[in-house]
Amino acid sequence: MTQNQQQNLLLSASGLHKRFGGITAVNNAQIDLHRGSITGLIGPNGAGKTTLFNLLSNFITPDRGEVIFDGKAINQLQSHHIAQKGMVRTFQVARVLSRLSVLENMLLAPQKQTGENFFQVWLGRKQIRKEEVENKEKAMLILESVGLAAKARDYAGALSGGQRKLLEMARVLMADPKLILLDEPAAGVNPTLIGQICEHITNWNKQGISFLIIEHNMDVIMSLCDRVWVLAEGSNLANGTPEEIQNNPEVLEAYLGVD
Amino acid sequence: MVGYFVSVTIFTALYALFSLGLNLQWGLTGLINFGHVAFMTIGAYVTVLLNIQGVPVIVAVAIGTVVAATLGLIIGTSTLRLREDYLAIVTIGVAELLRLIANNEQWPSPDGPIEGSFGLKDYLIPLADWDPNLWQKLIAIALLTIIAVFAMWQLWRGLKSQWKENQQIQDKSYRPRKPISLIIWGAIGTTLIVAIYINGTLALYDYYYRAGLMVLVLLVLALVYWGLEILVRSPWGRIIKAIREDEEIPRVLGKNVFWYKLQAFMLGGAIAGIAGAFYAWYLTTVYPSNFESIVTFYAWTIIILGGAGSNAGTLVGALIFSAYNEITRNLFVGGASLDALRIMIMGLIVMILMIWRPQGILGKKEELTLGK
Repeated sequence: MTQNQQQNLLLSASGLHKRFGGITAVNNAQIDLHRGSITGLIGPNGAGKTTLFNLLSNFITPDRGEVIFDGKAINQLQSHHIAQKGMVRTFQVARVLSRLSVLENMLLAPQKQTGENFFQVWLGRKQIRKEEVENKEKAMLILESVGLAAKARDYAGALSGGQRKLLEMARVLMADPKLILLDEPAAGVNPTLIGQICEHITNWNKQGISFLIIEHNMDVIMSLCDRVWVLAEGSNLANGTPEEIQNNPEVLEAYLGVD
Repeated sequence: MVGYFVSVTIFTALYALFSLGLNLQWGLTGLINFGHVAFMTIGAYVTVLLNIQGVPVIVAVAIGTVVAATLGLIIGTSTLRLREDYLAIVTIGVAELLRLIANNEQWPSPDGPIEGSFGLKDYLIPLADWDPNLWQKLIAIALLTIIAVFAMWQLWRGLKSQWKENQQIQDKSYRPRKPISLIIWGAIGTTLIVAIYINGTLALYDYYYRAGLMVLVLLVLALVYWGLEILVRSPWGRIIKAIREDEEIPRVLGKNVFWYKLQAFMLGGAIAGIAGAFYAWYLTTVYPSNFESIVTFYAWTIIILGGAGSNAGTLVGALIFSAYNEITRNLFVGGASLDALRIMIMGLIVMILMIWRPQGILGKKEELTLGK
């Protein structure tokens, strides 16, 4: 790989390995992701996709392997440090802070808030107030764009399943990430909302945010992604453009099914 | 009568202080602490022992508070990374351990070493021997007035925000508190504040030996309450509430969950440590049996009564707890078996409350019905 290509990589993981007892969940897996791209990660159920997400974000520590994000090795960092560096993930089942308002859910996300420091709560009250106003404005703009602005003052726990997915994505956006890992954004969501979610992803991608998406809905993967990686039984099976993947006989056999 | 109510005020205020610490840990951060009394034991013993050795009372309290926070640091670093039930087990164990040490250790006293079970006495109680002149009395009354005005202001602010919330019911899945209940709450709150204020003024004017301690504990309670309210509304408070709801979410958003849990745990412990010092001054002699696990569960009762996560609710809970305590103390004049009955009835009241009003008195019912 040339120097230029290396610099163009936002995320590069190689040799990732994780065993749970007698099961090898992820076996020597590799994944590369270019700056500004939308990359898909597909594979049969139990292929180790979510585990790979957990390894990338260090929610689970890999047995071995290396993860380089934005030019720096991150596998020794704790998961919250990884998020601070700009790689933020979502969960397969949307998680919200039920007893906080939708707006408070959004306001949790921004990085490096002055008021997060115990002593600054007393010393920097002016600065905190200023940041809160700015963050609230930004949060309301994003909530408006995903159609949740009217719900801002209601409990997040009162949202429907689809609205929770939207809130989770909107919240991730508040953290100003470079890369968002989406775990099945279209699962359990009606077709109209899937269309909306895809539209949001495309829009945010245009603003410079890269995406890594696990998804079983092939229409979503094929319409959004620049590149697709296929995982089967914990190992890489193939990678390429959506067209290449669709015509790859191995992938067809393992995942997409042969007609 | 004035003196009696002064004592009740001190008792209520110190339990409110103690419970505010637990409310920060459990009600706001979600940490299950079944050994909260451990912090109180440390606060009381360190303050008293240092004071017996001749350390000035203010320094002794400060050190007691820091040691209580350090205990939080030690328990926290060893257990907060584990699942939450481990914290519950470890804290209750530590609390019993500390009580047993207090019971079996020989402690220094003015008359030479003394067995722990005989208790510690002859320590200084702040302002007990004070003989104020008219000016000093007036200054103390002025201080009490400031506290009362602060309490009224907090009450007014709380009611106003509820009122506003009630106006904007559109697009909300729940109905906020009705105006009539706000008026009732305002009336009850005002009456209580005025009653405590008038009684306190009388006690200060015709100086009762505990009146100074009462002003001190009310002052500390007001400051701690104010500080906690600021914290809860700050981004710091948002993170600890987020941890209570689902700690994975703040984690993926780049917050150091362990560190915030530790901060909340230590701060709650420090507050309980101060409460411990007041407890020692209130009791005038401390015995290890004053720090049994039941004290922790009094604080749990107070929080559940008032509504978990609400600082104002904790104050209301402490008032009810104290009122119950005093009324039954005077009704059930009898042996130890009747004393046990009082605690049984309290348990029954908590159970009935859990069925009839599980959110507590100031808690929000709609919060219980929300899906995870």
